[in-house]
Amino acid sequence: MALNLNCPICGPRSGYEFRFGGEDKGPRPAEEGATTALWLAYAHLNRNVAGVQREWWCHKDGCGTWFRVCRDTVTNCEVPTVDTL
Amino acid sequence: MLKRSTQPKRLWRSAPLKPAYDAVVIGGGLHGLAAAYFLASRHGMQDVAVIEKRYIGYGGAGRNTAIVRANQRTSENVPLYKEALDMWPRLTRELDFNLMFYNCGNLNLAHSEAALKAMRLQTATAQFHGVDSRLLTPAECKALIPALDITDRPKYPIFGGMFHPPGGIVRHDAVVWGLAKGASARGVHIHQDTAVTGIEVQRGKVAAVQTSRGRIATPRVLNAAGAYAAALADHLLDIRLPISVLTIQAMVTQPLKPLLDHVISSGGYHIYANQTLKGEIATGAHMDRWPNYTTGTSAYYIKHQAEALTDLLPCLQGVKFMRTWAGLADMTPDMAPIMSGNDPVQGYYQDCGWGYFGFKSCAAAGKYMAQYMTTGTCPEILAPFDPGRFAAHRLMGETAALVNYSADN
Repeated sequence: MALNLNCPICGPRSGYEFRFGGEDKGPRPAEEGATTALWLAYAHLNRNVAGVQREWWCHKDGCGTWFRVCRDTVTNCEVPTVDTL
Repeated sequence: MLKRSTQPKRLWRSAPLKPAYDAVVIGGGLHGLAAAYFLASRHGMQDVAVIEKRYIGYGGAGRNTAIVRANQRTSENVPLYKEALDMWPRLTRELDFNLMFYNCGNLNLAHSEAALKAMRLQTATAQFHGVDSRLLTPAECKALIPALDITDRPKYPIFGGMFHPPGGIVRHDAVVWGLAKGASARGVHIHQDTAVTGIEVQRGKVAAVQTSRGRIATPRVLNAAGAYAAALADHLLDIRLPISVLTIQAMVTQPLKPLLDHVISSGGYHIYANQTLKGEIATGAHMDRWPNYTTGTSAYYIKHQAEALTDLLPCLQGVKFMRTWAGLADMTPDMAPIMSGNDPVQGYYQDCGWGYFGFKSCAAAGKYMAQYMTTGTCPEILAPFDPGRFAAHRLMGETAALVNYSADN
């Protein structure tokens, strides 16, 4: 389904120019003292929210910027950033 | 004018929602219905409920392209899919319902030396497990499907193929109806329009399932909610799974005279197609490139399917698509499913992560999940599918190449 995203550098562009970069799981765990469970959660586990989630995208076929957006996974529309997520 | 004198005969009975069941299955799709059927028919469980938020067969069960096969890649997966494939004729008899299994064989095309090499390994694995699968030259592919263009003209010329004669097509709606009929006849209660809203856990054990129509006390629950299983596990039990949910699209052309006698697929073109008994070419595409629950269709894939199909089968040029639809695929990083139980909650079982392989596997998965739920012990054949493999970083390698749906790869 059609998706348009707002690249912070290039503005609104077709979703097909972007690469999905996964759910926003916060900063990468520090290697010092990181447990298997922590790495598993960071590398593989997803919440799979049917609704609004914050996620990473890369403007692969454009400027190459990585950025975060909020998107409703049920409607495929970008929504204004929600700080509480 | 004809007048109907009696109500149409229902294949399954509606039943009142009881306050307690021996087992509750979340999801009236094929995995849930199959598990319920086998719980009742093989393990004598008297009180089983299937709860379905919408209607049975609403999800992946009625949206797949009906292809069945057993030529998976790894030794853990092939035996499970082989058993599932072998079960179609037996289930047809057992359910006394025509599932319209048509073992026309699957031809998977290779468009490079590398793809042929991967197929060589895949056929060797299949043959080791007693699954008929063999490599074909381009000329042999053309002998099977004369409409195929094996010249150098297509964008991705055909280097060879992997033919899997026992695979084919099963009518997916018939499987829904047949399993519902069989389960209902053995006392299973099928509750449609009933959404799960909570799972009650007491002292580490499942105690009840809360639904939109009331509470059901039960010692065991199976999460067979298909593409919604991962979100449910997170929402209800705070169990996060290594799953990404993606929309996958399919479409059919106008009906044509017979020209495609086998299921044809191509990883290079990202298509799979077969000709239905009505004559339509039913064809499916690759998944959306980002997770979503839209089940929306897009011009992007209609264009892609048209280009790919007419490149391989030039006689389809000018043929029109009649209908397009989409379903959801819950993908794991290794493209193998997740089946587990009693971890971390006693009595909680899950059968999910099937991606786009949920249809072909449903009979065997249902059979063994029913055994798991009855005995509480994981059947040997399901042991490799425990999600613990992801923590141990022992991914199964059902995928030949890295896929592009998540940040994991």
